[in-house]
Amino acid sequence: MIGLVSYIVFFLILSLIFGVAVLGLNLQWGFTGLFNAGVAGFTAIGAYTMAILTGPARDAVFGGFELPFVVGLIGAMIASGIGAVLVGLATLKLRHEYLAVATFGIAVTIQLVCLNWEYLTGGTLGLIGIPNPSKAWADGPLAQNALYLLVVVVVVGLTFAALERIVKSPWGRMLKAVREDDVAAASLGKSPERVRLEAFVLGCMIMGLSGALYVSFIGYVSPWDFLPIVTFQIWTMLIVGGSANNRGALLGALIVWGVWTMSGFVISRVVPSEIQAQGGAMQAVLIGVILVAMLLIRPRGLIGEELHVSRHARS
Amino acid sequence: MLHKFGSAAIVAALIGIGSAAQAADCPIKLGAILPVSGPMGQVGERIAETGLFAVEQFNEAGGVLGCPVEYVLRDTQGQSTVGVDAAKSLVDLDGVQALIGAVSSGVSLPVLTSVAVPSKVVQVSCCSSSESFTALAEEGKTDGYWFRTYATNRSQSAIGAKLTVDSGFKKTAVIYVNTDFGVGLANRFEQDIAKLGGSITSMVAYNESQQSYRAEVTKALEGNPDSLYLVAFPVDGATITREWLALGGTDNLIVNNSLRSDDYFQAVGSKFLQNLQGYDSAQPRLPSVDSFNEMFEARFDSPPNGPGLHSVFDAVTVVLLAMEAAGEITGEGIRDNIRLVTSPDGAEVYPGPEGIARAKELLAEGKAIRYVGATGALAFDENGDVQAPKMTWRLDGDANVETGYLSTAEVAELIKMLDE
Repeated sequence: MIGLVSYIVFFLILSLIFGVAVLGLNLQWGFTGLFNAGVAGFTAIGAYTMAILTGPARDAVFGGFELPFVVGLIGAMIASGIGAVLVGLATLKLRHEYLAVATFGIAVTIQLVCLNWEYLTGGTLGLIGIPNPSKAWADGPLAQNALYLLVVVVVVGLTFAALERIVKSPWGRMLKAVREDDVAAASLGKSPERVRLEAFVLGCMIMGLSGALYVSFIGYVSPWDFLPIVTFQIWTMLIVGGSANNRGALLGALIVWGVWTMSGFVISRVVPSEIQAQGGAMQAVLIGVILVAMLLIRPRGLIGEELHVSRHARS
Repeated sequence: MLHKFGSAAIVAALIGIGSAAQAADCPIKLGAILPVSGPMGQVGERIAETGLFAVEQFNEAGGVLGCPVEYVLRDTQGQSTVGVDAAKSLVDLDGVQALIGAVSSGVSLPVLTSVAVPSKVVQVSCCSSSESFTALAEEGKTDGYWFRTYATNRSQSAIGAKLTVDSGFKKTAVIYVNTDFGVGLANRFEQDIAKLGGSITSMVAYNESQQSYRAEVTKALEGNPDSLYLVAFPVDGATITREWLALGGTDNLIVNNSLRSDDYFQAVGSKFLQNLQGYDSAQPRLPSVDSFNEMFEARFDSPPNGPGLHSVFDAVTVVLLAMEAAGEITGEGIRDNIRLVTSPDGAEVYPGPEGIARAKELLAEGKAIRYVGATGALAFDENGDVQAPKMTWRLDGDANVETGYLSTAEVAELIKMLDE
């Protein structure tokens, strides 16, 4: 019983950390229509910033400032934000699939930089010993994880509340206007380029936050944590949950990560051990089938966008 | 009355089963986290099957503490998040006290720091080569729960440096593959060669699968090196060597064990490699290794050629022997008994059901044993690393001839001298 609780806590931590990144992507794709295929790259920037700011000092590697956890979170968001401004200025003139190809390339580049810039990132060896704040405050893995879950829930809660408020504000309406028809938005005196850049940067900062939460939890970061498959997973979470809906984004993270992991559990229970080595392929098929089935049943995601009429028009 | 008596008997029987089960919950589960799909899937699948084979052998000899062992395999898909979740689920939901895996260091390390160490579960990897594990263990952050049956880079760089200096080379260029394996090895080599009195002219990393390495080779040629230490794999290694020789580099080559391959010799041309020297883990010429190879062929109809097969077999066997020695299935018990079943002055036991049965007898008598397995005699140091005997070789015409042999003890002595 304790085992089950302990596992669920662990599962929630990982899926909510994914959830943060999905919220960031939702701001970009769901509300603004920006096809960012470089999610892994921006989570990597956040993750490494966290590791450098809060990790212990190392010979021959930059950083190790041993700063507090919260400073690490803020630093991660700032670093991802700076990265996003640079990328955004260079690429946001591109639309749709062109933006996707460009950002995908940038994410691969960031991963290669992490792999090769040893002085900053530790190269292929990665950075070890990144502190998890919950270890100082609680004893035993369950208590520590429960405490970390609390931290993650608070961060998710704040991010969610802030995003909900933002997208309902005039600025949020402008995002949707740009998404639906940027010529019309421009004719009303708005600047679609600027709005796109703002949404892109804000979304990437949230992805950086997700990366930072991940490394503190795991205690280790390496370039292998940011392969393109991560971008694919986060996109799947958003599409399954329902884009342009922040509740949908979080629900998608829980459901998709649940399918991803529970399928492995089910396979290990059901398939006899003699052919378990082939179980990996079965798991991949199972994940694919479940995701396709969900999209067939609910093409707009589990909770799609809520349609709004301006509250001024209603009254 | 009879009815009451009957139910009392059933209750008594149930209590009996309950107390028997407490001694050891049957079946005993052993968790494996391996990449059986994804980019490493081909390699991982064979490793997973060999792990199961080791469990089957143990079960043939009566299992652990009278219980059959159940091998629970979970796929990591080569992804750290998936691997970490699989490990946590094995520990929390299946109650395993030992994990075998993972293959890549990028998955094994997150599993170690976020699951195995906090949950006090032993983790034994067949294949992770990163130096970060040793660093982590030295900092006391593994609590002794980490082991690997893959002989570390430590001895490879030591023997490479010794070979270079013994050959009279003074200025060595280093070209190495940019993976955790290559980087760790090259950095250690740099330290070791300084200790032995040689020097490095340049350290150049290369990324895998490029068409040409002209830029890397040109950089490595700076400073007029009299020798080249090359850490590479055959295809890229051949490209680099050809360009190195074509651009006027010396043919005094010292190469890593992965280049002891006919593919490499043929791709470059043996006649250009007559001053090439190398080293390798000496397959200990022991009956235990042959008997493993024979048993493997009998079971799978193919020889055990492939990365990680010998080492995963030993990883599983050592863990199960340690469970038997501990007399209880806890992570701490396994951790504390792994060295007891690999103790240098213990009675030797070999793989296979008879060997396991003999090991169990000896353990029941309270004697220390020394498991000599598919990779030879294992000896874990305090960081959970193992060393293997080494040999040096060179090319004579097309033939690959052995030029020297260092036993495990000699390798350990060399490393001790270098680390001081």
